[in-house]
Order: sequence, then structure tokens, then C-alpha cells
Amino acid sequence: MASGAETMAVEVAAQNLEAMAASAAGLKAIGAGLAVGLTGIGSGLGEMSIGAAAVGAVAEDKEMFGLALLFTVLPETIVIFGLVVALLLLFS
Amino acid sequence: MFNPKQMSRLLIVASKEHLDPVIAELYRHHVFHIEDFVEGANEDIKGVKIGNPSKGADVLSTDLVRVRSIASTFEVKPENGKGLQKMQNSDIRGRIQEELPKIAKEVEELLSRRAHLDSSMKEYEQRIELLQPFVNSPVPIDMLYGYDSVSIIAGTYPGTVTLDVPHEEYKETLKGTTTTILAIRNSDLPDVEKKLLDASFHRIPIPEEEGSPQELIYRYEQEIASLQKSMDEVSDDLADIKEKQKEFLLASEELLSADLEKAEAPLLFATTEHAFAIEGWVPAENNVALQEDIQKVTGGNVLLSELDIDDPNNGPPVEYNNPDFAHPTELFMDVYSRPKYTEVDPSMIMAVVYPIMFGLILGDVGYGLILLVLCFGLRSFLTGKAGNQLLKVLRNCSISSIFFGIVFSEFFGFSLPWHPLWLSRHLNIGAGPEAHAVAEVSHIPELIIISIWIGLLHITLGRLLGARNAAKMDHGHHRQLAIYANIGWIMVMWGIVFLIWSIFPIPFMIDLSGFPAMVAGLNAASIAGALILIVGIIFIARENVLDLMEIPTIISNVLSYTRLIAVGLSSVAIAMVTNYISIGMIIEPNFELSILGIIFLVVGIIVFLIGHTINTALGILGGGLHPLRLHYVEFFTKFYRGGGKIYHPFGKARKLTEIE
Repeated sequence: MASGAETMAVEVAAQNLEAMAASAAGLKAIGAGLAVGLTGIGSGLGEMSIGAAAVGAVAEDKEMFGLALLFTVLPETIVIFGLVVALLLLFS
Repeated sequence: MFNPKQMSRLLIVASKEHLDPVIAELYRHHVFHIEDFVEGANEDIKGVKIGNPSKGADVLSTDLVRVRSIASTFEVKPENGKGLQKMQNSDIRGRIQEELPKIAKEVEELLSRRAHLDSSMKEYEQRIELLQPFVNSPVPIDMLYGYDSVSIIAGTYPGTVTLDVPHEEYKETLKGTTTTILAIRNSDLPDVEKKLLDASFHRIPIPEEEGSPQELIYRYEQEIASLQKSMDEVSDDLADIKEKQKEFLLASEELLSADLEKAEAPLLFATTEHAFAIEGWVPAENNVALQEDIQKVTGGNVLLSELDIDDPNNGPPVEYNNPDFAHPTELFMDVYSRPKYTEVDPSMIMAVVYPIMFGLILGDVGYGLILLVLCFGLRSFLTGKAGNQLLKVLRNCSISSIFFGIVFSEFFGFSLPWHPLWLSRHLNIGAGPEAHAVAEVSHIPELIIISIWIGLLHITLGRLLGARNAAKMDHGHHRQLAIYANIGWIMVMWGIVFLIWSIFPIPFMIDLSGFPAMVAGLNAASIAGALILIVGIIFIARENVLDLMEIPTIISNVLSYTRLIAVGLSSVAIAMVTNYISIGMIIEPNFELSILGIIFLVVGIIVFLIGHTINTALGILGGGLHPLRLHYVEFFTKFYRGGGKIYHPFGKARKLTEIE
């Protein structure tokens, strides 16, 4: 028969475990957020100068539009990698 | 199918008397790509010159300029010619001779009359504008100028000025602006002007007219009205001419530009005093028919010779040779670059793979249907060849989206009445128990692995095509090295994949980690992988050692394909968030029959519409651009060379005139 003290110890341990699981989930979410956010900044920096040049090119020649749009999205790979990392963190 | 149309290089030599019939025949067939003759390019050939335009080319070009200038005045464009009847060429020629100068003269007169009326109207308007500040002036306008010893100044200023010289002042406020008329002695003028300048006085010119400003303005308005009436008449006359002559203008433009092109064709030929030579390309399938007809029109007095192709990679012009369903994707090929004559034309591969990738990204029945409707709706607006091709590609993509939407069970982010047929990408958005239930069965890591499989296979295909292109296009020792290098790249990629398989068990991939370890913790599969990798590296290094620096790009290229799922998931997430905010947070909790309830309902619907409109636009942009990028950047860089010459056959399709 378990004494009152033992029952309490078990309860405290269970609460600790719950808190740990919750903080692990929270850290995962923070990691996922950082992955998308930081890579998003990276992509933005990359697209900044390409975008400016692309607008210039399109102003010169409207037929460049398709190609310019394509060049502009080239650095988006970085943020997609971040997104994939975040998805794997959250769902696997 | 995977190669462009076969071309034959044809040389036509005949005496000059046959020049016109040969040109007419080439024009009629509309298959012969003329190779420009460059004078002096070959030093061995002497006494051969570029030909002169045929007689009458100058008259034709004058007429053409005339027709085009009238057409542009009337804004008549070839697109307006749809549904018009064909006209007889002899009729058109007759009318160009007789009627065109008359029409041109009439139009010119009307235009100059219109310009004259327009400038008169402007002048009156300007006069009215000048008179406006003096409309309430107590004296006729002619009493405000023309004095010997007194100056009259008119203008506006923001504040007030006190003048300490004798003067007379009249103020009048009209529409918020106060106009001041000052009369001063000429001797005081410099001082007063200085003072006024300091007070930011804005001087208005006094119009040198006679009579009361009000009466003058009324008279000018009458004048403008009568000018406007004449202007309307002129415009009606012009519209009449446009309606009557539209068909003739379009047809004569077509006929004249065809005639002019024929007349100027000799500028591309090599000629001597009595003979001419034309070199060019004709698709092999049209070769016989063209040669027969040229024989016929020259009565056999012509030399037709099929020449050898010196430089098969760059020489012949390139015309696609694809089945119908692959024609639209040729647009994407041309945006990148026309393939070379000897290389693989990947339009067909792209025609299949591109819509699949698009569907994987935008797999949603709702968005697919919107895109399908858009494609059919835009048909009448995008009438050009490129626009047509784009719409057809988008149509295929929307069908693929609908298919994948059924597979993923998605409709504007909602679930369809069935579970996803294979893998689910529903997300845990919205706090209800149902959301949790779907989140438990979502297969995002598995889907990412599927996308990596697509990447591995796509890149392997690219490298195989690279090896094929090297085999067909390169020569000598380099050819062999290039083939091996392409195989080497495949081996390095699969070597890395084997190594990963032998270390980590991954769902949906082959698990090779179960073999017992042999050396240094490596099992048989990892050793095999490492061997493949090393052999691959050797093959690459034999072609170019510096290429080894590019090996890490294998990993980034393959991982780049995960965008197929990642971009798709972002659009799923936006759709689900929109649904959750609009329905879960705004409409559902406030759903009751009261004014407030109705307001919430309307707001919820607006949020829903805005969210899904934005998501549709993002989905089409993302779904369209990312697969395109995967093709251009990840796939084409493995094999595609491009830079082929575009095939421009001599001649033009006739719409409104007959072919002669």
C-alpha cells in the first residue's frame, strides 16, 4: 500500500514529465519559427537586388517579364528549405 | 518527337528571267527558310552581288506606308479582320490604283480640318480662361490697357499690401481667388512692383480685347459650340470612311506587304548579271513538293541541288516537331532558348511533367476549377500565339490540379466527403477535435520524400539526356569524356543516396541499414554506395577537375524538389487559416438571426472571399513559377544547350487575300 508521501512524489514526477513534454513541443515550435523566419530574411536579401534589376529590365523591354519573374524567385529556394525543415520539425 | 523537324539544305540556281516565278512559288509554299547571302563572306566567290529589289518595290512601299498610316489613324488592326470575307486580289489591286489616293486625300483633308478645328477651339478656350478673372470688372476690358501715363496691373496675392502712392484699386473674389486690379502712375511703377513682388503678388496678363468680358466669354462659348459641331461632323465622316474601307484597308495591307516582301526578296539572294542563286532550308517532308513545283514554273531550266550540312549543330534552323498536346509547352522552351538542331527537344517531357508538378503544388479542386474557368474566360482577351499557348498550358495545369485535389481531398482548404486517397496533407489548423483527427493522419514527411524521389528521377533523366546530347553533338576525345562525366554525375548522386539508405531507414525509400556491419561500421550497401560515388567522382574529374566543386549542388538540387510539397502546403495552410478565421472565428460563434449576426456573416464572407482570392493568385503564381524554375534551373542545366536558329519560312499565312 503506497503511503501519502509516495503518491505525492509520483504526482510531482508526472507533472514534471508533462512540463518537459510541453517545453519540448514549445522549443520545436520556436525552432520551426526561426527556420522559416531567418531563411525568409535570407531570401528577401537575395531577391532585393534581383527584384530591382528585374523591374529595370522589364521597364526596358516588356517581353522580359516572364524571365525577370523567374529570376526574382530563384533565391526562394532558401526559404523553401527553411519551410521544409520547419515542416519536418513539426510533423515528424 | 524528341528531335526537331529534319531539314534539307537546298540550293536553287536559275537565270534571272525565272526570278519572279521562283520567288512566287517559294512564297506560296511558305516552307523555305532563306539563308541570307553575305557579300564578300567567301573570298573565292567573285563577281557575285546581293540582288536588287524588283521593279515597282518603291511604289509598293509608298502604297503600303499610305495604307498603314490610314489604318493606324482609324486604329484598324489585323486582329479586327476576324470573320471578314476574303477579297479578290485583282479587285484589291484595282482599288489600290484608283481609290487609295482618293481615300488618302480625303482622310488627310479631314484630319487637317480636325486639327484646325481643334486648335481654334483651344484658342477660344484659352481666351476664355484669360478673361475669367475680369468677368465682373466694372469697366469694359479695353479700358484696362493702352494709357500713356497710367499703368494697370492685375493679379492675385495672398495677403494685403498698403501702397503709399496715389492709386486706385478694385478687388473681386471669384471661386475663392481674389483678383486685384490696380491703377498707378507710371512714375510709381518700379516701387509698386517691388512691393508687390515682396508680397508674393502673382501677376495676370490683361487680355487685349474689346468689350465687356462677360459678353466676350459668351461669344467665345458660342464659337466653341459651333466648332464642336463641325468637329463632330468631321468625326462622323471619318467613322463613315472607316466603316466603309476597313475591309479594303486590312486586305490591301496584307496584299501589299506580301507583294513587297516578294519584291524585296532578291536582297537576300546572290546574283550575277544573268543568274541568281538562293540558298536555304526546307523541312524534309516538304522538300519534294517544293522542288517539283519550282521545276514546273521554270520549265525545268533550274538547278536544284541538295547540299551537305556542314555544321549540323548550328547550321539548320530549328522547327519543333511535337505532337499536338506538347505544342503549348514550346512557349516555355522559346522563353528559355530554342533547342539546337541536333539536341533533344524536351518540350514533350515538359508537357507531361510540368502539369503534374503544378497539380502537386495546387492540388485543390476549388482552385483548379477557378483556374479552368479563368482559362476559358481569358480566351477572347489573349488572342496572340503566345497567349493561346499559355492558356492551354494553364488549362492542362488546372485539370491536373483538380485531379490532385480529388486525390488529396481538398476543396478551398475544406475536406471533400472522402479521405485522401493516398497521402494526406491536411494540417492541424483550427482547434476543433476534427482538426486533430486529420492532423494525426497527415503524411507530410512522406510527401516530402515523394518529392525527393521526383527530384532524383528528374535529375537522373536530365543527366541521361546530357549523355545523349554529348554523344550526338560533341566530337573526338571530348565526346567520350562528356558522356562519362554525365554518367559520373548520376553515379555520384545515387552513391550518396545509397550511403544515406545504408545509414538511416527512411519511409518510402529502400532500407539498406539492416545489413550487418563489415568494415568500420559500414555495411555492404554503404561500401557499394561509396564505390559508386568514387567511380562517379573519377568520371567527373576526367572531364574537368574544377567540376568537382559542384558536387554539393547535387544535394541542393535534389532537395530543391521538396518545394513541390512545401509550396503546396503553404497554400493549403493559407486556405485553412482563411476558412478558420472566416467561418470558425467570425461566422460560427455569432450565427444568429439578428442585425449583429448578419453583420458578422457579411464580414466573414468578405474575409473568406479576400483570403481565397489572394490564395488563388499566390497558388497560380507559385504553382506556375516553381515547376518552371525546377525545369529551367534543376533540369535543363543538366543537358540543355539551346541557342538554335529559329525557323522563319519565307511567306505569310493569308487571311483576307488569295494566295497566288
